[in-house]
Amino acid sequence: MTIAAAERVWVLLLALTAAGALLGETGGRGWALTLTVALLIALKGRLVIDHYMGMRDANRTIRRVLYAFVVVLPVLVILSHAYGAVIARITAIG
Amino acid sequence: MSQPLADGAITGGRVPGNAGIWVGIFCVLVEFLLLFTVYFVAKAHYPEAFLTGPDKLATVAGATITVLLLTSGYCMVKAVAAIRDDRRRATLVWILLALALGLGYPLVKFFEIRWNIAHGVDNAAGIFYGVYYYLTLNHLVHVSWGILGLGWVAVRTGIGAYSAAEHGGLEAAAVYWHTTDVIWLVIFPFFYVLR
Repeated sequence: MTIAAAERVWVLLLALTAAGALLGETGGRGWALTLTVALLIALKGRLVIDHYMGMRDANRTIRRVLYAFVVVLPVLVILSHAYGAVIARITAIG
Repeated sequence: MSQPLADGAITGGRVPGNAGIWVGIFCVLVEFLLLFTVYFVAKAHYPEAFLTGPDKLATVAGATITVLLLTSGYCMVKAVAAIRDDRRRATLVWILLALALGLGYPLVKFFEIRWNIAHGVDNAAGIFYGVYYYLTLNHLVHVSWGILGLGWVAVRTGIGAYSAAEHGGLEAAAVYWHTTDVIWLVIFPFFYVLR
């Protein structure tokens, strides 16, 4: 990665962090917030994996595992919002 | 110190750092995936607690930790780029900057917990805060290993152990450090933003 590219990614990550923090301060809730948070996790995670860790042209298996991590978690965020009651029922003890 | 694996040594492309660090990183990812499962299950059982929980936390503390980790990570990107050009003095400066910023994390966490306790946000304050302490302190432990790793590669860089041709240990410390970034980027919205 070129130096300029590293700086651009750093600034973008900070901007996305500021956006997330502002969202937190507004105290919003609901689907819009859930989808925004899922998107922020996926986007920021991908930026760190590709540009900080330099995985874009690195080992395919490792890259896929890391990509899966930042895809599975946003999907779980969405599923937990949509099916919270179902998750509670299937994980209830007794 | 471990050697970087040559291209083609493992099928599928170059392994940044060394194979050993990736075993550790995958263990950490699995560990946090389990901890995040605990978060989702607790949230499903106590939706009200997770709806109001973030209101009592200091978002500025979480955001500051994010900025510190991302900026420290950026410094490690520069450190790896510098050693690839054999600029050893610049490498050391970038690692020391990354280390200084990384040390800001436990400092902010200390003040955050002190603020929490002063405002009645302790482990007994409810399920949301129990899960919050469990996950964030666990992350702090992993960041502590990363800080020790940065200290180690700073010393190794200082004594001239790394070069453009051999810097697998430095790259391994960098990818571990970035992994703690990736995990924090999930933790931050879970406790300070999402409701």
